[in-house]
Formats: sequence, C-alpha cells, structure tokens
Amino acid sequence: MASALEQFVNSVRNLSTHGNLRELYDVVIKSSDVLLKNVQHLDNVLETLDVQQHSLGVLAVLIAKFSVPNASLSDNRFLQTQEFISTCNVEQVRSAPDLFAELCHLFTNYLVETKSPIRGIALLKQAIMRLKYLSENQLTSIHADLCQLCLLSKCFKPALQILDVDIVSICQEIPHANANSSQFDAKYFLLYYYYGGQIYLALKNLDRALYFFEVALSTPAHAVSHIMLEAYKKFILVSLLLHGKVQQIPKYSSKVVLRFIKPLSQPYNDLTNAFVNNNVTEMNNVISKHTEAFTRDRNLGLVKQVSSVLYKKNIQRLTKTFLTLSLTDVASRVGLPGPEDAEKHILDMIDNGQIYATINQKDGMVVFSDEPDKYSGPGVLKALEEELALCMEFDNRILAMDEEIQVNPQYVKKSAGLQEEEQPSKSTYAL
Amino acid sequence: MVVNINILVEDLERQELEAPLGVASPQVYAQLLAIYLYYKDLCNAKFLWKRIPAIVKTANPELEQIWMVGKHLWTSDFPSTYRALEAVQWSDAIAEIMKNVQLVVRTRAVDLISQAYSSITIENVANMTGLPHDLCVQACLEKGWRVDKESKIVYPVKPTPEPLAPPSSEDQLYKLTDFVSFLEN
Repeated sequence: MASALEQFVNSVRNLSTHGNLRELYDVVIKSSDVLLKNVQHLDNVLETLDVQQHSLGVLAVLIAKFSVPNASLSDNRFLQTQEFISTCNVEQVRSAPDLFAELCHLFTNYLVETKSPIRGIALLKQAIMRLKYLSENQLTSIHADLCQLCLLSKCFKPALQILDVDIVSICQEIPHANANSSQFDAKYFLLYYYYGGQIYLALKNLDRALYFFEVALSTPAHAVSHIMLEAYKKFILVSLLLHGKVQQIPKYSSKVVLRFIKPLSQPYNDLTNAFVNNNVTEMNNVISKHTEAFTRDRNLGLVKQVSSVLYKKNIQRLTKTFLTLSLTDVASRVGLPGPEDAEKHILDMIDNGQIYATINQKDGMVVFSDEPDKYSGPGVLKALEEELALCMEFDNRILAMDEEIQVNPQYVKKSAGLQEEEQPSKSTYAL
Repeated sequence: MVVNINILVEDLERQELEAPLGVASPQVYAQLLAIYLYYKDLCNAKFLWKRIPAIVKTANPELEQIWMVGKHLWTSDFPSTYRALEAVQWSDAIAEIMKNVQLVVRTRAVDLISQAYSSITIENVANMTGLPHDLCVQACLEKGWRVDKESKIVYPVKPTPEPLAPPSSEDQLYKLTDFVSFLEN
C-alpha cells in the first residue's frame, strides 16, 4: 500500500521538476484511487510535497481528503486548502482547471455542511483572481460556488467585484471522470446567473438582477431546468418592480422553455394580469389566493414589494393626467387609506427621483411638474460618451469573434465545401 | 473623514471575512454597521445585521440599538430615527460615526424638504430634522426660507442645481477623434 503512495510522490516530484504538465495531469488522475484508499497517510504525503513546486500533486491529495465522507482525524482541511489557494503555482493549476474546480466544489460543500460559509468567501474570490479568471472575464464553475457562499452567509458585497464583470468566455473544464461528456456543466452556468441575480436583487440593483435572470432564461436548452423555472418567476417579479410590466423573453431562448415555463408559473401570471390592469383589489385577491405558492417559492417578500409598487405606479399615472391634485384625491384615486399615506408615498417617490412634484402642506395640494432636466448639460454628453465607448468595445469584440470563426479550420472546410461558387461574405458585422 | 472611513470600511470587511471560525469581534460588527448607516447603504446594513451570530447580538445589546436606527431609516421614519440616535450613549468606538450619521440624516432631510415642499408646517420640519421648534425656525431663516409665524408655515426655496464643470476641450476633441475614426473604419 505504502509503496503505491511512494510511487505517486516520486512521479509527482519527477514530472514537476521536468515541467511535464500533461503527463503529470494523467498520473494525478490515475492515482486518485490509490489516494482514496490511503486516507490515513495523506498528511504524510502532503509533508513530502511542496505547495509551490508540486501544486498538482497537492491538489490531488486535497481532493482525496475532501472526498472521504468522514475524516475522523483532526480536521486540518480548511487550513491546508487556504495555504494551497494562496500559494499554489498558478501555471500548474491552470493546466488542470477541472481538478481545481472540483476542489472548490468540495470545499464549498464542506463549508456548507459545517455551517461556516463566510469563511470561504475571501478564499474563493482570491482563487478566481489569482488564476486570472477575473482579468480574462472568464466564467468558471467556481463563480457559482462563490455566489452560493455569499448567499448562504448573507454577505454580498465581496461578490460584486466578481459579478460586475461582463463574462466573455467560459473556462473549458473537462471532467476527468468522463472525457466525452459536456465541457462545462450547464448547472453551474445557470446557478451562477441565478445566484448572481439573487445577490443583485438583495442589494436592490434591479437592472442587473433582471439581466442575470434573463441570461439564465435564455440559455439554450433541450429541457426546462428547475433553475430556469425559478429564474423565470423572479424575472417576472423583478420586471414588474422595475418596469411596471413583464419584459418580453428574448426571442433566441429555447422553444421548450417558452412552452413549458408559463403554465408552470400560473400564480405569477395571475399577479401580472392584476398588476398591468392597475387593479389594487384584484391584486390583493391574487396574493391572498396564492400566498401558499409564493411562500413555497420563497418569493412572498418580493410579491409584497410588487404590491406596494402598484400604488406608486398609480401615482405616477396621475402625473400624466393632472397638474394639481389634493392629497385626499390622490389617496382615494390610488386606493390608499388617507391623505397622510398619500403624502408619505409621494415624498418617498420624490426622494427616489421617480416623480417630480411639490407638496403644498398649507392647502394640502400636490403640484406635478415635468422633468426639469433639459438634456443639454455636460452630464448628458458624458453619459452619451460612455454609451458610445461601450458600443465600440462591443463591436470590436464581435469582430474579434468573427475573425476567430473565419480562421477556424472546421468552418473553412465546411463553408468551402458547401458553397464553392459563392464566396463567403467578408463580414456582415463590420460597420 | 471620508477618506478615512473608506479605508476603515475595507479593513473592517476584510476582518470580518478573515475572522477565525467566521465570527468577528463585536466591535468590528458595530463599526461596520454604523458606517453602512452613514452611507445610507441600508441593504448591506440589513444583511450584516442578519448575519451577525445570535450569541454576539445578545452579548452586545448596542448592536441592536444601532440596527434600530437603520430600521427607522429604512421606513424613512425621521422622528423615530432621531429618537433612536439620541436615546443611547454610544460607546467610544462608534460615537464619532453615529454623530456623523445624525448629521447626514439631517442634511438629507433638509434637502428633501426643499425638493418636495412649497410649504410645510413648522411642526413637520421639526419632526424631519429632529430639531426643537425655536432652533428650527432660526435654521429655516438662515437658509433663506420664509417663515410665517402666525400660520406656523415655512416656505422652503428649491435649490438650483449646480452646473457641472464642462470637460476640457482637449479631452473632448480626443474622444471625438476616437469616435469618428471608429465610424470610418
């Protein structure tokens, strides 16, 4: 038994010094059984390996330690993982993204089970940054783990730095157990966008939350995932909160999703109908009728936010018809109990910049005014410039991706075979 | 003050994340919570309050007192906010921050009044700023607001927005060149 371990240590040391990463990777994967059978000796193995020089070997040992259901030996796994993540050799680890991701998943599960998710946040964030996934705008399955830890510990701020980056590529994590299976587990992709949406939602960044749920919804699929269904429910509620109506689901989302997801979220459709009809009583009926469903989905808090937004939406509609209105009239028109409530709502809305109005307490009147912004100041110009810069960057990116496809051997072969007489057009995206 | 607070926030957040066993010292929690209130970052304050372990909360009743301020801010209940702020003798670690919280809350209230009201009773101004009546009248007059002492009504003046400094023309030219060259290619 011990000899097999010795062999493992020796080959890891040899291959590491020679820098033969591919062979090392194979060795590491083949020895996972050996490691699992010798759990009690793994700490000794770790002592003979150097985290910096033999990162892949250490990685394999750590995975084995986490895979064993119950380590009765003194639990030093947290410290060992911490040391590994902060000092490992970046190049070596990047050659085995699947193993590293697996370690992170196991580590995450371990923290979830020991009910101390907050301890892992800084580490996983460090992992994503050290391996340059952040600077390359690359999505890994570790991102989803980080979001999960943040949600569980109710600590969202650290995740923002990761979430605010627009993802442009996905890390190719080929699972070693089955080299033929899909390259990046769609579950983690969906989870990242679902969790991310929830984090933005909790911090009231509704715009970004809506975008994240939309990405989760429009992911190509052959079947509806539960994650997508939940994302759809939240998508409805957020779009009611943000826009006062349900946004169209993008046309490029899968047909299956469109067909199945709607009937599965009936309570939410009822709510939407009541909301777009601006009918407060009907909406309250819907809410009390479906309270159970909303509670089960853990969306009741959001639903309540939606119902309070309806008052504000109705006040906003009044500004389109009236120039001046007494507070009592406002209250009776939008269904609020009294003028004081109306005043509070209006004050709130002025504070948030949702309406432009002036309250006259002497006569108990409200004067609605037009938006004072004339769209001529330097601020508008600045916003415009920022938008332009974004569009330009976007165009460049598309050109780069287009170029990548043009020189792809497979594409060249196919397009040359199919349309020999018809030269493929240069680029349709170039302006 | 502001620069210091920014550094302090980062430091405190790091301390919380790196705390052994995931539980930071009560002082870290208290300061962080108070600073979030100072920035009116109520979402983060709420979740910080939710994630502080129950044992820490019961051992340090001050944490709950800080959060009470946050709770009143959440419902924009000005009178209760001031009451909650003044009812407690804050410990040294957060006294300075809490004093500033009160100042920014009051400034925000004054801004809101001048934005939202063309006329408002002195009673309401006093409620929203947490100042006693006579002080309130004086402050209003100082700001140039007309006070009608008989009907007890204040007429706030709407603030004129300060114009932003226009960007330098060189910068502008550079951006325009960039833009035109993009369109032409």
